[in-house]
Amino acid sequence: MTNQEHEPLPDEERREFSAETGSLWRLTLTPLTWAMHLVLCYATISLACARQLFPVEVARLGLIGASVLALGFICWQGWRAVRQWNVLTTGVLTHPNGKAEDRHRFLGHAATLIAVISAIGTVYTTLPLLLLEGCR
Amino acid sequence: MIFRKPTPIRRPAPEGPYPPTRAMLDEPVPERLRAVQAARLRKAWESPKGWRYWSAVNNTEVGKWYTVTAFFFMLCAGLLALLIRLQLAVPENELVPADRFNQLFTMHGSAMMFLFAVPIFEAISILLLPGLLGARDIPFPRLSAFGYWCFLIGGVFVLGSVLFDAAPRAGWFMYPPLATEDEGPGSDIWLLGLSFIEVASIAAAVELIVGVLKCRPPGMRVNLMPLYAWYVLVVGGMILFAFPPLIAGDFLFELERSFDWPFFDPERGGDPMLWQHLFWIFGHPEVYIVFLPSIAIAAMIVPTVAQRPILGYSWIVLSAVGTGFLSFGLWVHHMYTTGLPAMSLGFFSAASEAVVIPTGVQIFAFLATLIAGRIRMILPMLWIAGALAIFTAGGLTGIMLALAPFDFQAHDTYFIVAHLHYTLFGGMVLPVIAGIYYFYPFITKKMLSERLGRRAFWLIFIGFNITFLPMHYTGLMGMPRRVFTYPEGLGWEIPNLISSLGAAVIAAGFAVFLWDLIRSKGDQPQIERNPWNAGTLEWAHDVPEENWGMRSIPHVTTRYPLWDTPGFLDRVDTGRFYLPDAPEGRRETLVTSVIDAEPVLVQRVNTPTWITHLAAIFAGGAFIFPTFHLYTPAIVSGLLAVAAILWWLWTSTAWPPEADSKDAGLGLRLPIYVSGPDSVGWWAVWITMLGDATAFASLTFGFFFYWTAQPDFPPSEALHAGAGTVGLACAGFAAGWALTVAARQMNRHACVGMARAGLALAALATAGGIAAMIVAVRPLDPTSHVYPAVIWALAVWICAHAATGIIMQLYCLAGSLFGKLTPRYDADLWNISLFWHFFMLSALVACALMGPAARML
Repeated sequence: MTNQEHEPLPDEERREFSAETGSLWRLTLTPLTWAMHLVLCYATISLACARQLFPVEVARLGLIGASVLALGFICWQGWRAVRQWNVLTTGVLTHPNGKAEDRHRFLGHAATLIAVISAIGTVYTTLPLLLLEGCR
Repeated sequence: MIFRKPTPIRRPAPEGPYPPTRAMLDEPVPERLRAVQAARLRKAWESPKGWRYWSAVNNTEVGKWYTVTAFFFMLCAGLLALLIRLQLAVPENELVPADRFNQLFTMHGSAMMFLFAVPIFEAISILLLPGLLGARDIPFPRLSAFGYWCFLIGGVFVLGSVLFDAAPRAGWFMYPPLATEDEGPGSDIWLLGLSFIEVASIAAAVELIVGVLKCRPPGMRVNLMPLYAWYVLVVGGMILFAFPPLIAGDFLFELERSFDWPFFDPERGGDPMLWQHLFWIFGHPEVYIVFLPSIAIAAMIVPTVAQRPILGYSWIVLSAVGTGFLSFGLWVHHMYTTGLPAMSLGFFSAASEAVVIPTGVQIFAFLATLIAGRIRMILPMLWIAGALAIFTAGGLTGIMLALAPFDFQAHDTYFIVAHLHYTLFGGMVLPVIAGIYYFYPFITKKMLSERLGRRAFWLIFIGFNITFLPMHYTGLMGMPRRVFTYPEGLGWEIPNLISSLGAAVIAAGFAVFLWDLIRSKGDQPQIERNPWNAGTLEWAHDVPEENWGMRSIPHVTTRYPLWDTPGFLDRVDTGRFYLPDAPEGRRETLVTSVIDAEPVLVQRVNTPTWITHLAAIFAGGAFIFPTFHLYTPAIVSGLLAVAAILWWLWTSTAWPPEADSKDAGLGLRLPIYVSGPDSVGWWAVWITMLGDATAFASLTFGFFFYWTAQPDFPPSEALHAGAGTVGLACAGFAAGWALTVAARQMNRHACVGMARAGLALAALATAGGIAAMIVAVRPLDPTSHVYPAVIWALAVWICAHAATGIIMQLYCLAGSLFGKLTPRYDADLWNISLFWHFFMLSALVACALMGPAARML
C-alpha cells in the first residue's frame, strides 16, 4: 500500500491485514448470542408453562445456566475484540484514517462496544429468571 | 468424460497499480480530452426526454418520484387524521359514523407506516446513497424502478379504497377474529395490497444493502463509510428479517379469508395469537426501521453544523447495530395483556429497557459533537433539535410502557397514542423534514426558504405538542383508543378539544412546508455547490445538474474527503479519478470489495425501459384481482408478470461483454463480467434468499407454535401427509439441487453438453418432486382443521418455490443453448445454484415436518 495519509501509529504492526471478509459477521456474533439466549428463554418457559413438557423450576435453573454460558461466550468474544482494537497497548481510541490497520482496529473497537451492549442485554434477560418464579 | 481432469477457464483479475499514488493523481488531464470524456459520459447518462421521461430508471429520477409519492401518501394519511380529530373535538359528535371512523384510523395508521414511513426511507436512500458513496447509480436501477411502480400501484389501490367506503377497518394491526370475520373486501385490500408493497420494500432493501457493500468508492473501507451507509446496512438487514414474518402471516391470513383454512379460528384448532406474534415480530422492528434511517439523517447533519468530524463514530455504529438487534427482542411488549407467563413478559420488558442504551448512545454522540464543534445554526439543525427533544419525551414514556404493570393500566388508551406519536414525530417525521431541507440543494439544485422553514417548524413543533401532550392525560383518564365518540362528563372534553385545535396548527405548519416545496423557484440564482460546507462525498455533486452522478469516481482515504483532502473536488471534476469516460457509451459504475473497497469490477448498469412498468402492472394484477375473488385473471396476470420479468432478465442482464476487461482509469484494468461472490447479482440473490428463508422460518414457527400452545396438535387421529410420497418429493428436490450444482461445475469446466443434460434432468426431477408433494397432501382437507391446513400451506410454499426453481433451471438451459451462458460467462448458473442451496434447505425442513416430525410429536 502506498497511501501515506497519516503518520504511523505508535506501535503500528507493520504488516498487511487480510481483507477480514468474515469480520462484518463477527460484529453480529455477540448480539446473535443475546438473541439466541432470549429465544431460548422464551421458548423454554413456553414449553414448560403452556406445553408442560418439564417443570418450570427446572427450566428456570437450566436457563440461568444458559445465561452464564452465553455471558461467558460474549465476554470471550469481547476480550478478543479488545485485543483486536489494541487500545491497551496503543492508547489510540479512534481510527478515522484510511489504512488497513485503521480498519482492523476499528472493527475491534466496534465489536468491543457491541459485545458490551450484548452482555448488558443478556444480564437484563436473566433478571426475570432470578427475580420471578412459576408460570403466573 | 466426467472423470477427465478439466482445466478451468482463465478469468481476468484487476491489473495495474492500486491504490493510486499522489503523483498519478496530480497528473493533469488535457483540456481537450476532458471535454470529450465529459460529452461521452453525459450522453451515456442522458435522461429520456418528453413522455419517455417516465421510462427512466436512474436513481435520481426514481428517487424523486418515490419521495414525492410517499410524501403525497403522507399528506393523505394526515388528512384522515384531521378528520379523526374533527370527529373527536366534541363529545357525542355525529360528523363521522362509526364504520367510517374505523376506516379512518385503520387507514391513517396503515398508510403512515406502509405508504410513508418505510417507503420514504427507501426513497431517500435510493436518492442519496449513490451520492454518499460516490457511485454513478445503485447496482440494479431497473429493480428500484420496478419497486417504485409496485409501490405506486399498491399504494393507490390501498389508499383509494377509502374513497369507496371499502377501506380496511380492523385497525392497522388487523387482529383476527375481527379482521378475519370482517365482511367486505377491506381486510383483503389490506393483506394483498400491503403484501404487494412489502415485496417492493424487500426489493429496495436488497438494492440498498448491495449498494452499501459493493458500490463504495475505492479506498472507502468500512471504517470510513458515511454513518448513513451504516444505518442503511443495518436497516436493510432488519427489513430482511422483519418483513418476511408479516408476509408469512399475510399468506396464512389470506388463505383463511379466501379458502377458509382455519389458521386463526380456535374452533378448528387455530389460534389468533399466532397472528399477533407474526405481526409484532414485524411490527416492533418496523418502528426502528423507520427510526434509524431518520436518525441517520441527523448523523449527516450534525457534523456539518458542528463543522467537525462526528465524535464517537464507533459508538454510533454500535448504536445502529445494537438497536437493530435489540429491536427484535421487544415484540411481546405489544402483547403484555394476552395472558403470557410473567417470566416471559419479564424477558421482553428487560429487552425493551435495554434498547434504551444504544438509542441513547447515539443522541449523546450527537450532543458531544455539537459541544465540541463550532456550531453554525443552519435551518435543518432546528428541525433536528426539535426532533431530539420530542423523541426524548417519547422515549421516556416508552420506558414507562415497557414496564408490564404500567402497561396493563395504560394499554389501549390514548396514553399509547401519545407515546407512539412522540416517538414517530420525533424519531421520524421531523428528522425526515430536516433531511429534506438539508438535502434539497443536492436533490434539486435549488434552496428552500429559510423564513418559511422556520415558520413551518414552529407551527409543527408547537402544534404537535398542543395535540399530543394532552393525550397522555386523556389516556390516563381512561379514554380508550379507536372510539369514534365519547359521552360528556368524563372529563375528556377539554383535552380532546385542545388536541383537535393543535392538529389544525400542525396542518398549518405542513401547509407552509408544502408551499415551500412546490412554489416556483425558477428565478432563484444558481446555488452554491456546497451550501452547508459539508465534508461528505455527496456535496461533490454538479451544479447545474448532471445525470452522471459523479464526474469521476474518487479514491477516498478519509471520512470527510471534502474537508480533509486538498484538491479533491478539482480531481473529481477534471476526471482524474476512476471511470472518467464512457467510450462504449454504456452506463457504468465501479464495484469494490466488501470490507476494504478495493476495485473489483466495472459494472454495467441498465438503461431506461418500459418492461419494469409492465412487470409491475401484471404483478399488481396478481395481488389485486384476488381481493375481489377473481382468481383466473389473477393467475393470468401472475403468469404475465413472470413472463415480463423473464424478458427483462433475458434481454438485459449477464450477456457476455464485448471484452473481458477495460481500462478504468489511473492505469487500472478491471473485468467487466464476474460471476459468483464477486458479482453484485450473487449478493442480491443471497440477500433475497435470506429474507425468503426468514418467511419460511416463520411458517415453521407457526407449526411449532400450534404444537406448543395446544394440547392436541397434531390431533391424535389426524390423517398425515403420505410418508412414501413425502420421501419421494424430498428425493426429487434433492436430485434437482444436486444436478443444478453439478451442472454449474460441469459448465465451469467446459463440459457444456453435460451441464445442459444436468439442467434438463434437474428440472425433470424437480417437477417429479412437485408431483409427489401434491399427491402426498391431496387426501388432507385443509378446511377441516388447522393441522392439515398447516401441512397444505407448507406444501404450497415448497411447490411454488420448486416451480420457481424449475424456471431458473430452464432459463439457464436456454441461456446455454443461445450463447448467453458460457463456461466463461456463467453468473446466472451461480445465482440459481445459490437459490437452490436455500430452497434445498427449506425443502428438507418441510419434508421433515410433514413426514417424521408430524408423526412423532
